[in-house]
Amino acid sequence: MVRVITVKYPLKEAKAPEEYRGIPYIDPQRCIGCGACRNACPPNAITREIDLEKGIKRIVLDVGRCIRCGRCEEVCPSGAIKLTNVFEAASRQRENHVEIVELKLLRCSRCGKYTEFTERQVMLALEILPREVLEVEALDKRIWLCRDCRRETALSDAVDKEWKWYYGKLVKSIWE
Amino acid sequence: MVSLETEHENDYIKRIKEQFKDKIIGIRKLYDDQWLIITEKDYLRDVVRYLADINSSTEIHIATMVGSDERPIRGKMSVTFWMNVIESGSSSFVGIRAYLDEDDLEYESIAQDLPGADWYEREIHEMLGITPRNHPNLKRLILPDDWPEGAYPLRKDFNYSESPAKFPGYSFTYKDSSCAIVPLGPYHISLDEPAHFRLYVKGEEIIGCDYKGFYSHRGIEKLAESRLTYEQVNFIAERICGICGYTHSTAYCQAMERIAGIEVPERAEYIRTLLLEIERIHSHLLWLGIASHLVGLESGFMDAWRIRERIMWLAERLTGNRKTYGMNLIGGVRRDLLDYRKDLVMKTIEKVKEEYTQFVEKLKSNRSFIRRCEDIGVLPYDKARAYGVLGPTGRGSGRKIDTRKDHPYASYKDVDFNIPLYKDGDVLSRALVRIEEVLESIWIIEQLIDSMPGGDIIAEYTEIPQFSEGLGYTEAPRGENVHYVMTGEKNVVYRFRVRAPTYANLQAVPKMLSGYTIADAPLIIASIDPCYSCTERVTIIDVKSGKRRTLSEDEFNMLSIKASRRRS
Amino acid sequence: MVSSLKAYGSKRGHKLKSVRVFHVNSGACNGCDIELLDILTPFYDIERLGVKLVSTPRHAHALLVTGPLTRKTASAVVRAYEAMPPEPRIVIAVGTCACSGGIFYDSYALYRRIGGSMFDVPRRGGISELIPVHIYIPGCPPRPEEIIYGISLLLELVNERVSKQYYKEESLEDYKLTRRKSPISERLKYSLREKTRHIVGYFDRDRVLEKFLEIVQMAEKSENPRKRLSELIDEYCAKEEDSRVRECLKILERDYWRLKNALLSREEVIYWI
Repeated sequence: MVRVITVKYPLKEAKAPEEYRGIPYIDPQRCIGCGACRNACPPNAITREIDLEKGIKRIVLDVGRCIRCGRCEEVCPSGAIKLTNVFEAASRQRENHVEIVELKLLRCSRCGKYTEFTERQVMLALEILPREVLEVEALDKRIWLCRDCRRETALSDAVDKEWKWYYGKLVKSIWE
Repeated sequence: MVSLETEHENDYIKRIKEQFKDKIIGIRKLYDDQWLIITEKDYLRDVVRYLADINSSTEIHIATMVGSDERPIRGKMSVTFWMNVIESGSSSFVGIRAYLDEDDLEYESIAQDLPGADWYEREIHEMLGITPRNHPNLKRLILPDDWPEGAYPLRKDFNYSESPAKFPGYSFTYKDSSCAIVPLGPYHISLDEPAHFRLYVKGEEIIGCDYKGFYSHRGIEKLAESRLTYEQVNFIAERICGICGYTHSTAYCQAMERIAGIEVPERAEYIRTLLLEIERIHSHLLWLGIASHLVGLESGFMDAWRIRERIMWLAERLTGNRKTYGMNLIGGVRRDLLDYRKDLVMKTIEKVKEEYTQFVEKLKSNRSFIRRCEDIGVLPYDKARAYGVLGPTGRGSGRKIDTRKDHPYASYKDVDFNIPLYKDGDVLSRALVRIEEVLESIWIIEQLIDSMPGGDIIAEYTEIPQFSEGLGYTEAPRGENVHYVMTGEKNVVYRFRVRAPTYANLQAVPKMLSGYTIADAPLIIASIDPCYSCTERVTIIDVKSGKRRTLSEDEFNMLSIKASRRRS
Repeated sequence: MVSSLKAYGSKRGHKLKSVRVFHVNSGACNGCDIELLDILTPFYDIERLGVKLVSTPRHAHALLVTGPLTRKTASAVVRAYEAMPPEPRIVIAVGTCACSGGIFYDSYALYRRIGGSMFDVPRRGGISELIPVHIYIPGCPPRPEEIIYGISLLLELVNERVSKQYYKEESLEDYKLTRRKSPISERLKYSLREKTRHIVGYFDRDRVLEKFLEIVQMAEKSENPRKRLSELIDEYCAKEEDSRVRECLKILERDYWRLKNALLSREEVIYWI
């Protein structure tokens, strides 16, 4: 009785074990655009593009450069990028290996210019900041400004009428 | 003016001090088993020769040789010979260093006395521009032939990503335009290069051999010194070799942990040891398959690789990938060994042991295998010691060396195992050493799983001192692996020097080949277990008639397989 | 130059079902090459799909190239490419190094054309700098099944599974929804996350932490959270089979109270974040 040991793939499905390190995937709902994965990636498969005119930040992942080490998954603060189980990544064009996540940058309420960090990064920071130490009103004034405006308004406490509140009073709603 | 370290100095340091008195500028103890002697460059050769001949009954060989451009730090370049002094219970690495001024980059070559220093000096000459005077054979080793003179990649003023050479090309050299050209071999290039091995023969007997390699020189050392951070170098170290990559990653981590004074948790060391032994089993099974194929036993090849598949599947469940495990970080490992993974290890190892013992029975009782491997490629003990041959090749010639016993690292001091030793120095001895090492590895894995401790798997560290140096070493399946690391500033390594064991073993191949026939050559070259792509092309030059023919790997290997059929 | 065997076959008037391949190593670490040898062994057996390894490119339909294209091998690769018959000169790049240079992408020892920026998308590098490539198979090293999938793509037995993904954020609402409101402060969660990574590693970290936070949420609802948490953890550990997970949960319990007290009393304490 001869036992056939050859796998029937590709005519039959093959699934990698659950511990397998397949191609990475960024969950667009969780990514905050911090770029920690970009700093940790050894072959620079993840890049970041900032466009201060249009106010967008892009995290670009190229799976064809990825060595599947898993450092991005290890350092991601929001658990957005994870190595999946997928190993069937062969393709005829290299464009199919690209994933782009485009996020909006924070717009300063005072001068209207775009800052370098995204809105989501500010939201995450708000969730981590200790509520016991800070006040809602003080935070609400300062957190929606760019660095230069923060420096300039550091001494005065007033809130100008011309400031445009793009984000409303979000701090209260997050901290409730 | 000698700065003394009088306590715990070993005997050899004392004797060097006595012999050379004021020619030694300084002696520093880096760590418990690593010493550094600084001397004038004119006496470098004398000190190294003195240490190498200090005692003919201990095993001493060149561990590695590092040339470093330290001009940003202290305005000079340095040359350091690290010698591995092996004594039971107190082995150590003794480094002998000389500093060279920028306008006087020469020193007396040591390859005149120690044949094992040949390639190190050729490399330092073309990568840094330091000239060893009176070197017997100062040709290009690593860089392509069209690389311009004066561009030294490892100097600090050379940008890591710019290359001064244009598209590398070769030209045909026609002696006589009326003769017909018959293309031989797969690459169809001029008859001069790029053969890996060039055998000089008289009829069927080999009288000389020349090696040209390093086709996979990717500039790893320079990349680690410029673009990568400390943690990222782990991953490039793993891709130095696709068969023994985890040993390189571990050696680098151990060097960094030594420098930073990090204490790795015990459980992490056990996991590292487990993965190192798994890698050893898979590498030796790979070699047994290739050796059987060369001897003509095609079924042996398939059998060995079938057993090896189980190990690859096990590694996939434990680490996430069949090869390039990516499990090391400075301070520990990245994935834990949960209970169900431990059970998987035990089940797989039992099955492998059963199938492997059957396979070895068949192999050992196969007369053609024994007769083909016996008494060819003999490397006697004194030559093996002079060239500093390592690993199973060295142990097959009677050298009692094994980094796991001499310089215990990871958790090898907690497990019990033997080192197989054979004295004949032929291909069969090396095969037997590897066969027995697999059984020892299986025994080590069983002990590790039984007594694995609990606790953390990675240690935190805050600061790594700048411009400190150290050595990290492991026993790869092919021999001893030594990494030299000097840390720099801003989270970037200053100097990273890798010395793989095949580097030392390949230098002894011409000695092993001379006197044997061409049909034996594939087996002899494969017996040192070089990286598989080393023997892609071979040129055979008949000295008497001047004829040369170039063979592809398959054709070259067929010579050996056909000879087996004729002889059995 | 054709990019699929079907097109080549239809040009010739017949179907091409088998491929003869020649293996070229352009400076690889041998990981991908060993996996290529592996698919010839009986477990994976690429020969049943009609693929045969030949020993000279003059007989080959396709080249299987591994390695990041070092300078020393560049001319050899070109010669092998030109030695193939003019049709169909198919090139398959196996491994991340051949697709895009991998971790070595900008070293001086690699052959690269001048021009373009190193931050182009998709990332440049690998053997496509020198010869046109038809199929890219990434992986470091790719699994034997992955290589079989790539070759099946050439033989048109399967379809492509990856495609370009582009996500554009419309409003902040997408992000807010995924953050849940829970009694456990985010700060505590991050500290516990790092501690879990030190015990069970990054792969099982999220699973174990989720379990722990669920139990804590249940315990915080009762009047004596400390006692209730301890009871719940013991109850869970009695059912859990894995000893490492049990060990981890007990350590997390101790750490949770230490950090929570420190937060409330505003003490100086060592955080992991």
